[in-house]
Amino acid sequence: MNYIKTFIFLLLITVIAGCRDEKFSSINHHQSFVASVSILEPSVTFYNPLGEEIAVWNFNKAYTGAALIQQDRILLYGHQLDEADIYELSSGKKLQTIKTGIGTTNVYYEEKEKKIFIANSERNSVTSYDDKGNKLNELELRNYPMSMASYNGKLYVVNYKDTLLSVVNMENLKLEAEWPIAKSSNGVLIIPEENTIWIGGHGEGSRPNQSIDVLDLQTGNLVDKIKVSMMPIGFSRNEDVVYIVNHGANELYAMDLKGNTLWKTEVGANPFSVAIIEDEVVVAGYDDHKLYFLKNGQITKEIYTNKGPFQLLVREV
Amino acid sequence: MKKIFAKIWGLIVLFIVVTIVFMYVLTDYLYEQLYVEDTEASMIEVGDKLQTKYKGGKVTDALIAEIEDYNTYSNLDVFAVRNPRELSACVPFEIDYDTLIGPNERQHLLQGESVTKIGYEERFQRQIISVIFPLVDQNRLEGIIYIYYPLAKITELANEEVLLLIGSAIIFSCILAAFVYQGIKHILRPLKELQSAVEKMSNGEYSTRVNVSSKDEMGKLSEAFNEMAAAIEREDDQQKTFLATVSHELRTPISYVKGYGEAIQKNYIEGKEREQAMNLIVREAERMERLTNELLELVRGSNENTAVEFYPIVLSETVREAIRLLKNQADSKDIHFVTSFDEQIIVEGNEEKLKQIFINVIENAIRYSNNDSKISILTKMMKDNAVIEITDQGIGIPDKDLPHITERFYRVKKARSRADGGSGLGLSIVEQLVKQHKGNLTIQSEVGKGTKVTINIPMMEEL
Repeated sequence: MNYIKTFIFLLLITVIAGCRDEKFSSINHHQSFVASVSILEPSVTFYNPLGEEIAVWNFNKAYTGAALIQQDRILLYGHQLDEADIYELSSGKKLQTIKTGIGTTNVYYEEKEKKIFIANSERNSVTSYDDKGNKLNELELRNYPMSMASYNGKLYVVNYKDTLLSVVNMENLKLEAEWPIAKSSNGVLIIPEENTIWIGGHGEGSRPNQSIDVLDLQTGNLVDKIKVSMMPIGFSRNEDVVYIVNHGANELYAMDLKGNTLWKTEVGANPFSVAIIEDEVVVAGYDDHKLYFLKNGQITKEIYTNKGPFQLLVREV
Repeated sequence: MKKIFAKIWGLIVLFIVVTIVFMYVLTDYLYEQLYVEDTEASMIEVGDKLQTKYKGGKVTDALIAEIEDYNTYSNLDVFAVRNPRELSACVPFEIDYDTLIGPNERQHLLQGESVTKIGYEERFQRQIISVIFPLVDQNRLEGIIYIYYPLAKITELANEEVLLLIGSAIIFSCILAAFVYQGIKHILRPLKELQSAVEKMSNGEYSTRVNVSSKDEMGKLSEAFNEMAAAIEREDDQQKTFLATVSHELRTPISYVKGYGEAIQKNYIEGKEREQAMNLIVREAERMERLTNELLELVRGSNENTAVEFYPIVLSETVREAIRLLKNQADSKDIHFVTSFDEQIIVEGNEEKLKQIFINVIENAIRYSNNDSKISILTKMMKDNAVIEITDQGIGIPDKDLPHITERFYRVKKARSRADGGSGLGLSIVEQLVKQHKGNLTIQSEVGKGTKVTINIPMMEEL
């Protein structure tokens, strides 16, 4: 009799242990958060707007990025993984897996169209999925498509290792235009109010990029070059302020929509990402593994997070 | 000889060359290692000092200029870099550019640790040893100090003398090889002499001897060879003498028989002379018969494979039998025997052979004794041996002849050969037979007084 009990007990433990990886701490539906995606220790750490940790999701898979899909789902992908996983935040459970093939560089979710766009550097393409994860179309682009932004039915894709930006119709995934940009461009932000699109970048060869190219949103013509410090690649905006992180100079710039610098400050070590939650600006320092909360250009809070914070995701409810 | 010489020489020379090459490589390696270590140490010293010039914040042009100023005073190459592109700041983004430091090195530098690299550097297109020092402020890698020294210069330094080294190594090897050549030649010379001596021996030159120049194994071998050669030569001489003697001994009776035979055949002699000649022929024929019989006996005895059957024998009986057989011979010279026998003595032996021993010895005693004298024969026990002593009052044997008395056809008086009726084989046979009985034979003699022959034979062991 005892043997049977022991056996059942062991079986139970095995089942529980087996399930452990499938379920993470749940995130309340009504909780606003900023999530930091770390890639040196693959994980996502959730913080409330006050910078308090809500939950940590540690992964065994080498995820390199994530995207929020609507309010309650998060899609996790990895450049060396051949599939992307979608988890439900409120339950912490994995909902589905999408076969993407190796080489996923970025995932972009378009809320109005309710479509997921996945850029791939192996096939040099962008693939569209509906929000249920069903594959719709695939379009081959230039060398190494990565950064993406959308406006008015168009998807703007920056080809990282190329000198062209691709403008794609989101409805049918047809290429509409190609505009010249600098090589190693990364980071894209659309300012509809000014009818411009801002393109950041690392710079080519040994020369670090020190400006943001401003293109006309309709024609793609270069209309301005905004001088910044070094390697502006992370953008975030609210109604009237654009925040830019310069990872080469460890600086955060605040600008108006026309590109006039409001203020700048040194923050973090090698920051790749900036985000806004409520009235706080959050910067992730990749080298010092810290998140910085700023208000009116002043650091209000510094918190250690998992190693290699690379991306910030924000949900406001 | 050439072959073994070449083999030993080749082996030693090979060892020498291998040792020299190994020593050279090891020295070179150690030298390089030490030099590299030394260079690294001085780089670290310089880097640590230069690092103190950085006071935090951005790396300024002034600081870069100040650090690069150091090049003026040093043989090391020093420069400072603040370009984040060179510092792999863009990783994890893919970089299509060969940066000065890689992502792993960046991690070390961020910890404030210096990084040492030895090897080929694409940037400088050469082998270098480099030490990289971080300029870190608030976890920010603001820049680096890069100090390097081309490895080629170190190896050049080590290789400058390489021709001289290789040259002297070759000359050294050659000199050593020559010394070794002479040395081996010296050591192997006796062996070479031995070889040619053996060749001469096998061609029949038994007088060949080698010089014994040392006391080592080679010297002992030479000595042994000389002894062997002497033994072979002696044996050869004996063989020749023996054959010469045998033919001489046979030729005389044959010429008698032939001469008298022809004379009778052609009727040159008549009557009483003829009768005498016939007697002579018969006597010589008997001599030849006896000679050949004794030769046969000798040959049979020296052939060790011939098995002789031994059994217990009462010694006194055998001696008496021998005396009885020689009674007539003794009587004809008025010689009488004085005997004293221990009847208890039983030896293990072959009766015929033992009898032969006693007959030969007693016959000799009769032959070389004067008329009207006595021969005493006694047997006794001494420890485990039976001792038989036969003493005569004969002419005796000179001292110089005594050691050779048992040699075949040895006669004390050469001219006296056949007059006394001996063949010169008797004592040889006796000695041989005594040996077969595991005994020994001693002869003592004094000229004019007589001879004493002592035979020792082991007694039968009591069961």
